[in-house]
Amino acid sequence: MTVNASLVVDTAELLLARRQVRSEKRKAFFSAIGQNKAAVVGGIIILLYISMTFLAPILAPYDPYEINLKDKLQSPSVDHWMGTDDKGRDILSRILYGSRLSLGVGFSSVFFGASIGIILGLVAGYYGKWIDTIISRCLDVMLAFPGILLALAIISALGPSLINVTVAVGVFSIPLFARIVRGSTMEVKQLEYIDAIRTLGANDFIIIFRHIFPNILSPIIVQGTMRLATAILSAAGLSFLGLGAQPPSPEWGAMLSSGRDFIFSAPYMAIFPGLMISILVLGFNLFGDGLRDALDPRMKK
Amino acid sequence: MFLFILKRLAQIVPVILGVTLVVFLIMQMVPGDSAVILAGEGASKETVEELRENLGLNKPLHEQYLSYIGNVFQGDFGNSLKNNQPVLDEILIRLPITMELAFFSILITIVLGLIAGIISAIRPYSFSDIGVMVVALLGISLPSFWLGLLLMYVFSIKLQWLPVAGWDSAAHIILPAITLGAGGAAIVARMTRSSMLEVVGQDYVRTARAKGLKEHVIIYKHALRNALIPVITVVGLQFGSLLGGTVLVESVFAINGIGRMIVDAIRTRDIPMVQGGVLIASLVFVFVNLLVDIMYRVFNKRIDLN
Amino acid sequence: MKNEIVLEVKNLKTHFISKKGIAKAVDGIDFVLRRGETLGIVGESGCGKSMTSLSILRLIPSPPGKIVDGEILLNGKDLVKMSNEELRKIRGNQISMIFQEPMTSLNPVIPVGEQIAEALRLHQGLSKRQAWDKSVEMIGLVGIPSPEKRAKQEPFQLSGGMRQRIMIAMALACTPEVLIADEPTTALDVTIQAQILEIMKDLQKKIGMGIIFITHDLGVVAEMCDQVGVMYAGQIVEHQNSATLFKNPLHPYTQGLIGSLPKLYEDQEELQIIEGTVPSPYDYPDGCRFAERCPFAQKMCIEKQPELIQYDEDMKVRCWKYTNQWQEESSSREMVTQ
Repeated sequence: MTVNASLVVDTAELLLARRQVRSEKRKAFFSAIGQNKAAVVGGIIILLYISMTFLAPILAPYDPYEINLKDKLQSPSVDHWMGTDDKGRDILSRILYGSRLSLGVGFSSVFFGASIGIILGLVAGYYGKWIDTIISRCLDVMLAFPGILLALAIISALGPSLINVTVAVGVFSIPLFARIVRGSTMEVKQLEYIDAIRTLGANDFIIIFRHIFPNILSPIIVQGTMRLATAILSAAGLSFLGLGAQPPSPEWGAMLSSGRDFIFSAPYMAIFPGLMISILVLGFNLFGDGLRDALDPRMKK
Repeated sequence: MFLFILKRLAQIVPVILGVTLVVFLIMQMVPGDSAVILAGEGASKETVEELRENLGLNKPLHEQYLSYIGNVFQGDFGNSLKNNQPVLDEILIRLPITMELAFFSILITIVLGLIAGIISAIRPYSFSDIGVMVVALLGISLPSFWLGLLLMYVFSIKLQWLPVAGWDSAAHIILPAITLGAGGAAIVARMTRSSMLEVVGQDYVRTARAKGLKEHVIIYKHALRNALIPVITVVGLQFGSLLGGTVLVESVFAINGIGRMIVDAIRTRDIPMVQGGVLIASLVFVFVNLLVDIMYRVFNKRIDLN
Repeated sequence: MKNEIVLEVKNLKTHFISKKGIAKAVDGIDFVLRRGETLGIVGESGCGKSMTSLSILRLIPSPPGKIVDGEILLNGKDLVKMSNEELRKIRGNQISMIFQEPMTSLNPVIPVGEQIAEALRLHQGLSKRQAWDKSVEMIGLVGIPSPEKRAKQEPFQLSGGMRQRIMIAMALACTPEVLIADEPTTALDVTIQAQILEIMKDLQKKIGMGIIFITHDLGVVAEMCDQVGVMYAGQIVEHQNSATLFKNPLHPYTQGLIGSLPKLYEDQEELQIIEGTVPSPYDYPDGCRFAERCPFAQKMCIEKQPELIQYDEDMKVRCWKYTNQWQEESSSREMVTQ
């Protein structure tokens, strides 16, 4: 097909202008985030936790798995800043190593769920009609399971382990991302410049990934951050129920579970892991709130 | 309105079928043979084979699924692998308990959340506002099971004001309901606040003020009625995570509800129990959603005409 | 001969304080409103006319905005100094206000009849039944057919013109002495506009109230207003009878405004415009605020701000051109160029 030369030039200018606008937007975005104190605090918390995962071997004073029955159930002291658990293991060290598990599960499950969810959402939103109907119905079914029940069902099939928790939490994150992406895709699809790109001969694949996707990133990022918080909570919850990390793993949810049995005598066994989870989730929530304000104040709804 | 309800019911049917399918398929994936488990240790091969025939385990998958659905509609959820008692019986005992817990938790979510949100919104950026919002932020960040343990430690163990666990008296409901309802209350508070702040800046509030209406009339009659509309949706959504949350809270407080039943059943690989529990919980959730949807339409007739 | 004064505004100043600085939106406004008369306040967007009207009922959003000076006398009582409770009793009762956007100015979830009735119950102490009946009566009065049916409906079920009529009914229900109308017809179709203006004039005759009519549309001014105040950059720069204003605009800004109206009977190649832009309310010049754009500006205009002076009977203007000092300067100039 013949391509109108002026249309090509116009579109090229458009793309160039877009790139400039994007870099300006990026600068504005970072300054907006920087100004939001809560977001900065949240970001710092997250960074601290991430560095904890790397620095655990250096920071931990003891081996998290080393059993030392004569030292068991000691209150926090100079030797053991967070005390010891019922098998004499140093709680602080276990907490430090446990960060790897909690954050690892959080990030991988969200990554997994988001990838699948985004693809499903893009396809459903872009192609519409019966593909959309099928995918939407499937999402409806997934959303019909209240809360973590879907994850529970999956774990019951796969068996209790941290990896299965990751899969389960990932799967139960899919509908959220799919819904958002679907909605945004349908909005962006209507924009005129998509038609312009199409007349230039771009095929569906290029349109979806190079043109629609970058435009719908902001809600995905905000939801992703919030979802990380939920995923970490869910994973900890599942481990707490004994369906995730198995002993002697220092995963925080599992630690809470054992701590529960000793709540009378050694409450600190339960307090510290829960505290660590709470602060991390708080960090994600603060940061996510700030992100949302910076990217689009309208999204507060 | 009647047509609308009918339409929504029609939409629900494929979803319910989908749920049963998912539950069925997932249970198929559980390793281990139901017949073997039921027959018990050291049962002979013939006994197991007989059991398999009886349970219909040798039939093709889709037939098994169809007979499963058929049974469910007749109220037969199969028998527990643990004690061979009908799953439905257990469910019927436990469901009301969970529903009670859910009811009181939602009450806390709505009442606490609304009050907190309104207090915040009336004097934005004041101490009460910031205070409430900080507490709300904590509310959505704390794991429910940890909150439960903390509350238990403080109120039941240290202060001994409330019983530790179980479900026998009114006092038993307090801590679990607070634990379960807190997260939702925090979300409702935040949502109410932002919705109110938006509404208060609207033109019609200015008109109300220009008419000389008293401040509390402006807030409660004019602003709140509009601000509450998106909050209803949020509350509806909260019910889902609330129902899911019963799993955790029931475990912490040793309450004999459906949540705990499902968890115990997973641990013992009692497939029919898990199936039954998850299915019933999901069905309840789907119907509650429908109810919330209808309520929303009633409050918001404008959507109908669009 | 002239009607008595019902509302008098003296040196009203409303400022907005923010990180950007102080915006002097209303900076020394004086005017007088008499019973049965319509005073038009004209000006372009941002000149402060809406803020003036909001200031009268103290509806300015109060963290950034504040009435920093001036008096607003309703039958002699100063509204600025009044307590909130006393002021509340006046709103919707002795002074009513209608706004520009009928779409958003009515509460979407309350039936329109109730929105009228609540003012009646509050200010006139009517019972629920009485208030409702009166409300239906008002709806009929503003020309809406089947008022009993309409009263039960919610705003989204009414057209824009009908909603504005409801606003009028709501404002006039308690027979106020003053009606402040802030661009009431700007958001409506021209044909509906004419109807709304008719209703307002009609009811004004019946009730005998004073109307403050805020607008940027000179055509509406010509039709509705007895007196006109022209606002520019937070100040009134001219005040005349509307009859004489169009024939003899004094202030160069008013001349520009009227000159820019497309003329029906002349051939115009281009439309006349006023060069330049309005100064920012954060940073007004020391001298005359219009000097930058004024074709007649002299050195004194840039240096000192002119006062609003009485030029003739019913004619006030804020311009050095009409002062003694002016004639002196231009004559001295003439001598120099000769």
